[in-house]
Amino acid sequence: MNDAATRKLILSNFWVAFIAFIVACFMGEYQVLERSGFIPALDSPSVYFASVSTHGVLMAFVLTTFFIMGFGYTIATTTLKQPIWNKPLAWGGFWVTLVGVVLAAIPLLTGKASVLYTFYPPMVAPAVFYIGATLLVVGSWVWCAIMLVMFVQWKKANPGQPVPLAMFATAMNALLWLWTSAGVALEVLFQLIPFSLGWIDTIDPGLSRTLFAWTLHPIVYFWLIPAYIAFYVFVPKQAGGFLFSDEMARLAFIVLAVFALPIGFHHLYMDPEQAKGWKLLHGIGTFVVALPTLVTGFTVIASLEIAGRLRGGKGLFGWILSLPWTNTMVLSVILSLLMLIFGGFGGIVNASYAMNAMIHNTAWVPGHFHLIFAGTTVIMYFAIAYYLWPMLVKKPLFSSPMALIQLWTWFIGMSILTTPWHVLGLLGEPRRISSVVYNNLLTLAWKPYEFMMILGGLVLLGSACLFIYILAKTQLNPAAEAYEESIEFAEPIHADESLPEWLNDFKLWNKVIAVLMAISFGYPILQFFFMDTSGSSPWGF
Amino acid sequence: MQTEPSKQKYEQCLRDFVTQVRAIHIDQLERKWITISLLVVGLFVGIITIDAFFHGVNPPSKVETIDSASLHLNKEFAEDNLGVQVDATGAIIIRMVAGRYSFFPKHIDVPAETPLTFRWVSMDVLHGVHIPMTNMSTMIVPGYVAEITTTFPKPGEYPLLCNEFCGLGHNHMWSNISVIAKEDWKAPVKPSVKGGSNNE
Amino acid sequence: MGILNMKRMLLLLAFIAPVVVCAEPSSQIAWTPELLNLVKKGNADKGKELAESCKSCHGDKGQGMKEETRDGETLPAIPALAGQVATYTYKQLRDYFNGSRSHVQMTGVAKGLTEQDAADLAVWFGSLPHAENKSGSEKLTRAEKMVEQGDGKRILPPCFVCHGSKGQGEKQDIPALAGQQAHYFTRTLLEYKNGQRHNDVYSRMRLIAQQLSEEEIKELALYYQQLK
Repeated sequence: MNDAATRKLILSNFWVAFIAFIVACFMGEYQVLERSGFIPALDSPSVYFASVSTHGVLMAFVLTTFFIMGFGYTIATTTLKQPIWNKPLAWGGFWVTLVGVVLAAIPLLTGKASVLYTFYPPMVAPAVFYIGATLLVVGSWVWCAIMLVMFVQWKKANPGQPVPLAMFATAMNALLWLWTSAGVALEVLFQLIPFSLGWIDTIDPGLSRTLFAWTLHPIVYFWLIPAYIAFYVFVPKQAGGFLFSDEMARLAFIVLAVFALPIGFHHLYMDPEQAKGWKLLHGIGTFVVALPTLVTGFTVIASLEIAGRLRGGKGLFGWILSLPWTNTMVLSVILSLLMLIFGGFGGIVNASYAMNAMIHNTAWVPGHFHLIFAGTTVIMYFAIAYYLWPMLVKKPLFSSPMALIQLWTWFIGMSILTTPWHVLGLLGEPRRISSVVYNNLLTLAWKPYEFMMILGGLVLLGSACLFIYILAKTQLNPAAEAYEESIEFAEPIHADESLPEWLNDFKLWNKVIAVLMAISFGYPILQFFFMDTSGSSPWGF
Repeated sequence: MQTEPSKQKYEQCLRDFVTQVRAIHIDQLERKWITISLLVVGLFVGIITIDAFFHGVNPPSKVETIDSASLHLNKEFAEDNLGVQVDATGAIIIRMVAGRYSFFPKHIDVPAETPLTFRWVSMDVLHGVHIPMTNMSTMIVPGYVAEITTTFPKPGEYPLLCNEFCGLGHNHMWSNISVIAKEDWKAPVKPSVKGGSNNE
Repeated sequence: MGILNMKRMLLLLAFIAPVVVCAEPSSQIAWTPELLNLVKKGNADKGKELAESCKSCHGDKGQGMKEETRDGETLPAIPALAGQVATYTYKQLRDYFNGSRSHVQMTGVAKGLTEQDAADLAVWFGSLPHAENKSGSEKLTRAEKMVEQGDGKRILPPCFVCHGSKGQGEKQDIPALAGQQAHYFTRTLLEYKNGQRHNDVYSRMRLIAQQLSEEEIKELALYYQQLK
């Protein structure tokens, strides 16, 4: 990462991600304030739903995609010790993605595309919104291509050698994203854009939802894998220990990618356009994909235990206290794992087939994904940013104590925000409402939880501002002396002597994914072309 | 025969694969953890699958299409055919239309402790309906009939809330259902309707 | 994804249905893609020609006519048509034709128009600018509240979520209310309230109007009349 041009590319991606993040954070707090009804002057469904749509697009598509691209370029260049393949193309991809964001942002911010980040038709937004979303996805495919090309080139130049774990996982993630985004790409290209331009008169919302469900689950693993990469390759080293098992890490990434894809119907459990057999099949697959997370949990905690004991920790749990809690990466993983336990539990509930009826489309759902994504995943994005920033800007981190406070407040704020959110869902509060106006006593039970959520959101907003402040100060501070730290990757306890090809390559797994996708989505999608369906005309909102 | 060498090649591939899997070093503790994880996941999957196959515990999944643009001209969802009816076999069928921003009919009476089959359609966009803290929950997708059968154990007044974003009036979209004790509930008599006059 | 014969069959059934079923549907108009296209492709020039004969009642700019008392006789208000959502205008003409809505003069007028005429007229009137009326001095806070916030206690959504933040109407056939004649607006909501007007599918407006008091209706009428 000594090449200034490469650092500029990486930093550009990271800054787009984090600027989108901080803007969306303000929107988030506005939303929870507006919904609570405590400030009547704020009451406005038009502004609220424009905010929700923008907040969703910024957090779910912009923060994530740009962060992952920046992180991918970092990993590729540092682990493979090679320059980025075709830098002009990388910049081209960056600009296409950014132009897409701007094109989508204009209708979003003017309230003309309040169709949420899930686009659910037959409500329709101006075509430019969907075109912007398409460019965002297509630009990210450029990144995928670069990751895979660098992967293949390195393997050719180093035959028989194990690909560094971080790059293996990054390339796997790129492959996963290509498979994942195909669903929403099909929906946008063949349904939403023609529909919004008036080229086709009707679309079938059942098909749209099925195609979107194809993307909707694996996309969260696309977001999660960089956090897991940090778990495996940064955390053990930062904690002062070793990675418990390199092979199990690879296996976990593989099973994660393979089984993240064919399971989208747990988002459609309550939908009438898919039959129960398919829903059950996807449900079982969803439970299977819990396994690599359980394995990751084990490997990471075992690696931490090694580090803790090497630092003198004794006893069954004493090693936890002897971990370097003042290391931002270590603190983040501890807080991340705590949130993963509860977020994962919520996920198991969501996956549980018919039981999903109790929480479907209630406030439980955003509570869940804020805990697991904004909590578990994003806190690791912070940790990665704190770790890489000094190396990218060649200056020391502005303030490590401040970073620790920021991480703690993120965790505390997230706990205060999402715990009542889950409870509200159990008490039946629907999601995506801009205010509570039901003339029913049930709503009285909701008020205290809404209030708590405002407080949680305020803590998070402060934490988010602090995060940006730390990064900006680190970058803008005058350089005292040359900063020469370089990235360090964890070493496994047992070095891989020989790795079977299928733990070092994707040829087999690509085929497995293709077969599983054909089984899980083949008939459920084709059915729409053989059923007697009457499409829906475009509707406003 | 040409299949022989490829069959042999395939078997050899499989054997190699198994050997390689066996050669991966997995720590004893990790093996135990994986076994526990597999057992727990297997237990959940087993319970869900058995419940699905033997107790009929499934989410609403009848795939049935309908033309949502002309619902009021459709025989089943004509305006005077909505609401609670008892069919020839004695089963209670409840036909509801979701449309911005209400559920029609706005108020229905049903008996407690009796299987009820709801048939939901949308006249415009995506909706969802949930009676809080019950399993009467389904998406309502235009172009499809969402059918769901459930039983309400306790009499009382319950709200039906729309829980899928359907437009700026989404949070105002709700209706009411009275669950009446089984012995007190009377099946509705099909009203003789004058052209166009309106009841609930 | 395709538009199939089932819809045509259903429409056919729908025309036969009134013979078989006890009650008539509130309207025979269903917004199939074909019908939406028919209205969209209406010929505004042809509509302008046809609209010449509408001017005597509906005003030379389609602005309607205020309620008037002449020689002790009250001439009821006539609705503004200018800037009206085309699908809504089409539907009302066809509802008059089919008998789903009846009016001593409009029924006869509508029976003399074909579907294409109705589409042409709808597009022509839709292209005209909304009538703009002077604001009065009355305080309309209650109407504003109803329009912007609705009333949760009576399960009444805010008017704007269907009728638009500027009263401009919305797909597929929600009428524009901005600039509408206040007395006509009042009369219409009262007719929905007592069921005299019943061409709203699934009683959407009847259910709402039944919850509104006469004073509220009058205030809403003034609010929308002066909305620009």
